Amino acid sequence: MIVASAGNVLVWIVWVGAGFACLASAAAVVSFSNPFYSALALIGNLGSLAVLYLLLSAEFVAAAQVLVYAGAVMVMFLFVIAYVGPRMETPWAGGPSWQSVGAVLAAASIFLEIIVAVSLKAGGRLAHSDHVNATFGTPGWIGRLFLTDHLLAFEITSIVLLIAAVGGVVLGSHARRAA
Amino acid sequence: MISGAWLCLFAPLAGTLLILLAGNRIPRVAAGWISTASVFVAFAGAIWSFFGLRAQSDRSGYLSTAWTWLQSGSFKVGLTVLVDPLSTMMMLVVAGVGGLIVLYSIGYMDGDDEERRYFAYMSLFVFSMLMLVEGGNLLLLLVGWGLVGLSSYLLIGFWHERPSAVAAAKKAFVMNAIGDATMALSFFVIIAHSSSLEFGTSFDLAGSLSPTAINLVALGLLGGAVAKSAQIPLQTWLPDAMEGPTPVSALIHAATMVTAGVYLIARTHTIFEHARTVELAAAGLGALTLVVAGLIALVQTDIKRVIAYSTMSQIGYMFLGVGVGAYANGMFHLMTHAFFKALLFLAAGVLIHALGGEQDIRRMRGIGALMPLTRWAFLAGALALVGIPPFSGFFSKDSIIAAALHDHWYGALLAIAGLVGAFLTGLYTFRLYFLVFPGEPSAFVREHLHLHHGKEGPPTMLLPVGILALLAVFGGFLQFSPVWHPLTNWLDPVARTLTAAEPTNRQEAISSVIAVALGLGGIGLAWALYGRGERAVPHVAALQRILEHKFYFDEAYDALFYKPAAQLATWLRRDFEEPVVLATGTDLGEGALELGEGVRRLQTGLLRTYVLFLGTGLAIVGVIFLAIR
Amino acid sequence: MAGPGIAWYLGIAAFLFGTGALGVLVRRNPIIVLLSLEIMLNGGNLALIAFARHAGNGAGQIFALTVMAVAASEVCVGLGLVVAIHRRRLTLDVDELSELRG
Repeated sequence: MIVASAGNVLVWIVWVGAGFACLASAAAVVSFSNPFYSALALIGNLGSLAVLYLLLSAEFVAAAQVLVYAGAVMVMFLFVIAYVGPRMETPWAGGPSWQSVGAVLAAASIFLEIIVAVSLKAGGRLAHSDHVNATFGTPGWIGRLFLTDHLLAFEITSIVLLIAAVGGVVLGSHARRAA
Repeated sequence: MISGAWLCLFAPLAGTLLILLAGNRIPRVAAGWISTASVFVAFAGAIWSFFGLRAQSDRSGYLSTAWTWLQSGSFKVGLTVLVDPLSTMMMLVVAGVGGLIVLYSIGYMDGDDEERRYFAYMSLFVFSMLMLVEGGNLLLLLVGWGLVGLSSYLLIGFWHERPSAVAAAKKAFVMNAIGDATMALSFFVIIAHSSSLEFGTSFDLAGSLSPTAINLVALGLLGGAVAKSAQIPLQTWLPDAMEGPTPVSALIHAATMVTAGVYLIARTHTIFEHARTVELAAAGLGALTLVVAGLIALVQTDIKRVIAYSTMSQIGYMFLGVGVGAYANGMFHLMTHAFFKALLFLAAGVLIHALGGEQDIRRMRGIGALMPLTRWAFLAGALALVGIPPFSGFFSKDSIIAAALHDHWYGALLAIAGLVGAFLTGLYTFRLYFLVFPGEPSAFVREHLHLHHGKEGPPTMLLPVGILALLAVFGGFLQFSPVWHPLTNWLDPVARTLTAAEPTNRQEAISSVIAVALGLGGIGLAWALYGRGERAVPHVAALQRILEHKFYFDEAYDALFYKPAAQLATWLRRDFEEPVVLATGTDLGEGALELGEGVRRLQTGLLRTYVLFLGTGLAIVGVIFLAIR
Repeated sequence: MAGPGIAWYLGIAAFLFGTGALGVLVRRNPIIVLLSLEIMLNGGNLALIAFARHAGNGAGQIFALTVMAVAASEVCVGLGLVVAIHRRRLTLDVDELSELRG
């Protein structure tokens, strides 16, 4: 399964680096007590994910990831964190003791189950990926798909965004003059 | 004839139901008249059956089944009445004497708050006793047996506010239950061999059973008879049963229920004849009882207890009679005894009623001067009891002693016991008479005596006493064996007297003379000791103590049976029921609570917990799907 | 395809998902819970992109873009809630906010 050749080596190195960064930053998000640091770690996670997307021939998605997620969403997070102020909180405290233990167990078991499921198939159908042409993942290709095969998804997404925007404004506004 | 039998059986039951249903709506006295009427209707039915049977040429017995009462596989029992010489004789005695006693009760129980309940119970009792004697198969006999035990319990404990009455009722019922159990066991043996409890098949079976089996059956029946008739060793309940009202003592514990044992032996005599040893044992127990009871009666100071021990003793005679095989003589004595014993009890009841409930004979001295009718009636009953001719007891008792005499050395022993008993009977009976009736009225009597409108008692009480007095005097003329014996002939198809128990005329004459002489001797001794108003109880210290404690039977049973049972019950309660049974209940409850507590801790109220449950569920579902694949 | 097979990418996606789940279950600050939720969504996205590449089907990437849009909307609303809660002077603790009362 591991096929290493000259061109491959670069891909492998990039993959290992990005993968490691992804995993580490995910762990960091969950572990920091300062929310600001968690948000920064998430930015790092999103960035490494974008690299992984590039490796998977999804250029447009990578770009959108950086622009939308890391750019807009994370900025929003940081603004709110700044507004709310510093709130330090120790991760494992609070709640009954079995909550923490149960949480670790549940998360670990879900992780392991996915691994098991995947590895059961790994030798079979997952072994050989299809060969894709050069237009795979390009913006034009994506755009064509959005406007032909997946038009419904496109339109509904726009409505969802609209509703979210309205909701955000309502929630954030000083609706009642009194109080 | 058959209809008469059905009428006889169900009339008292109808009376009971009527009184129960009417409840408070009828006046108390009306309940008494309903009950009396129902029993007299039963008597009419008995007469009808009697004459109907007399008109038949074949008198071996007629069965009439109303419907199949019980059916289980091949075992079938019908609601059957039997009309035969023995059952009609008993029907007449029970319904006749019973009717007179219920009539008497109207006067005696007048003013009691719970009169209606009393009369309902009395009718129930008469119905039960009739069921016992008319039952066409052994199972119905057992039903009647149990019901008379129940009625006895209800009536002994009638005045239930008295702890002594309640205790006495319990004692009577428990001792009767022992007899019921032994009888049931013998019925099981019969069913095991023949799948039927009909009289005919059971008696035919008697010949083919192994000796062990037939002896077991006979012993079981004897156990029941001994318990119901208060013979040794199950006799301790009868004196205590005097806690009930006097008419109850007269009816149940003198005239009818306690004689059921004698009837049983006469009815199942075929079985007993095949188990001759048991039959002779019955005679022996009867002889023993009659002597022991006579001795104990010598020291009693309660008028009803004296008469109760006298009953015990006379039933001993009856057992003696049927035990040696003289069934007709035993039944004849049953009949005459019903007359004069009921008479004695009712006369005593007139005294007790006039004195406002007093029963101690030491206080009643001289009452005869103020109550002459009662005095003469009592005297008639007493003479009949002792067996002085021409009173009825003479004809019936002496024939039993003569019958015993005929039967080898054992019979001679029994006869001697019977003669000793005759002496004792004279002694204790006339001790009672001389202490109570003659002489100057005592201060107590003068103070407490209250007559009923100038008469000794209301007419409803005096009339039955009078009728019974006539029967006690003249009833004996029914039979004077071996010269004139219509009763023996009457019972012959059903209960033929054994040839071993047929005395010769000479034996009859000798035993009669000796018995009468001894009876007169007893009367004389009584006059010597008590006639002049001396002390009531003889002064022989050690003997007196034994007699007063009734030969320590009660103490022995208490130590042998009651105390171990009570100890066992206490031990079980302390070491088993409380720690194990009750604790299990408590532990289950506490366990459920703890489980609830544990589950409660899962409800943290935190959103995170519920998401955790979600995640855990997802993980488990994932495992399931992976496993199934 | 050059580099590791799809299975490795799926492994990373699984880890992301698990870590995100752990964060949701353990952390009490709602902002960090939202961050953990983002991680989970990203894990899902990675799996989608990987399968899109494996099957040569563009639907996976489309789906991933849609998820991204929805995630952005959801974060927007969620943070709006956080701001509203903060304005009401309530503690920003998921455990304390269990009664849904003002």
